[in-house]
Amino acid sequence: MKRTSIIISILLTVILSVVILGCERDDICAETTATTPRLIIRFYDINNQDETKQVRQLEIDGLDDTGMSMGTVLSRTNTDSIALPLRFADEGGPELTITRFQMEKDADFGDNENPDNASNIDIIEVSYTPEFIYVSRACGYKSIFNMGTNGGITRENDDDNWIINTEILNETIDNETAAQIIIYH
Amino acid sequence: MKQQHRSLFIISMILVMLIPIASLSQEQNKETTSDTLIYKQKYGVRLGGDIGKIARSLIDENYTGFEINGDYRLTKKLYIAGELGTEERSTITDFIDVTAKGSYFKAGIDYNTYTNWLDMQNMIYTGFRVGVSSFNQQLNSFTIYNTNQYWNAPYTENSNEEFNGLSAIWVELIFGLKAELFTNLYAGVNIQLKSMISQDQPDGFENLYVPGFNRTYDSGRFGIGFGYTVSYLIPIYKKDKKVVVEKEKEN
Repeated sequence: MKRTSIIISILLTVILSVVILGCERDDICAETTATTPRLIIRFYDINNQDETKQVRQLEIDGLDDTGMSMGTVLSRTNTDSIALPLRFADEGGPELTITRFQMEKDADFGDNENPDNASNIDIIEVSYTPEFIYVSRACGYKSIFNMGTNGGITRENDDDNWIINTEILNETIDNETAAQIIIYH
Repeated sequence: MKQQHRSLFIISMILVMLIPIASLSQEQNKETTSDTLIYKQKYGVRLGGDIGKIARSLIDENYTGFEINGDYRLTKKLYIAGELGTEERSTITDFIDVTAKGSYFKAGIDYNTYTNWLDMQNMIYTGFRVGVSSFNQQLNSFTIYNTNQYWNAPYTENSNEEFNGLSAIWVELIFGLKAELFTNLYAGVNIQLKSMISQDQPDGFENLYVPGFNRTYDSGRFGIGFGYTVSYLIPIYKKDKKVVVEKEKEN
């Protein structure tokens, strides 16, 4: 009688521990874990370069290789800080990966027929090398982006650029806590 | 249980009623002598395998494992014990697909806390082991974790990168039981609580599964394992065990 009860209690312990250990919290990638970051850009005033300056009614689209819009990244809003997702396919390689964005200032003016105001579209190009880094069992790998000396940000010239200057604060895009690029306008 | 209590009660009642009779009979003159009983104690190697690992190999397509284990009785309660095994385990999540493959060896002591009748070797035991493992990990594929899906579907790379020559050493505490089902044939279950001492972590990656240690946890160095064993006792020699029994002799 005593022996069977010992056996039963041991079996119960085994079964219970299997059930408890079955679902583990480190099997789920926590939202707070830093994974693949977006590029953080902040807008500063060209005339007063220590001050941030909002862009009025900014709308951003990503562009594919042929220059076609891939859809809206950021819909019309007044902001001085944006987070842009970057493209990546392969890791490393001698060629830089390029992501292009179309940034439309005063986007609401583009809709009306009023010739006195118009929206202003500038295109920026960000180039970098992706690097894949192991995060954890649950999250797998993340990609960070190194702009390095060859990469960086360029603005396509047109008749009327609203983006006047750009500056790289950090060549490595590996978090979303601080801006890597500043745009003066 | 109620039934049992009742029968216990009846038996004790009968005993109570018998006491006066017994004490009455003790009035007679008695003398004690000692008598010696001899029974054989088997000493030998108990060898077996883990049927749990075999069963899991058949059921789980991501697992292949085999383990032989053995113990040898040193004294009445103390056994030296060890396990030798090989495992291959694929850890597949939404973002990662890794196969760990290797072999391990564990050695230690089991202490039997169960008092056996006569020549039996049933065990309710607790023990410890030191385990070492030599293994490799193959990163079959991984997916970049990206919460933003603007540009494309999650990017998966089939890297097939191999991390060779990895090793780990750990200690474990073991609790279990072994019961003799048929002559010399034993079945057992045990639970192992493991604590990693040191391990080679691959460069830019980590050990998700260590053969013998089982899966690792982000939260710490502890692990857990279960064993379901069947083993056979190969008797090597028998030792006579004398039991002195005080016996009352009536004149």
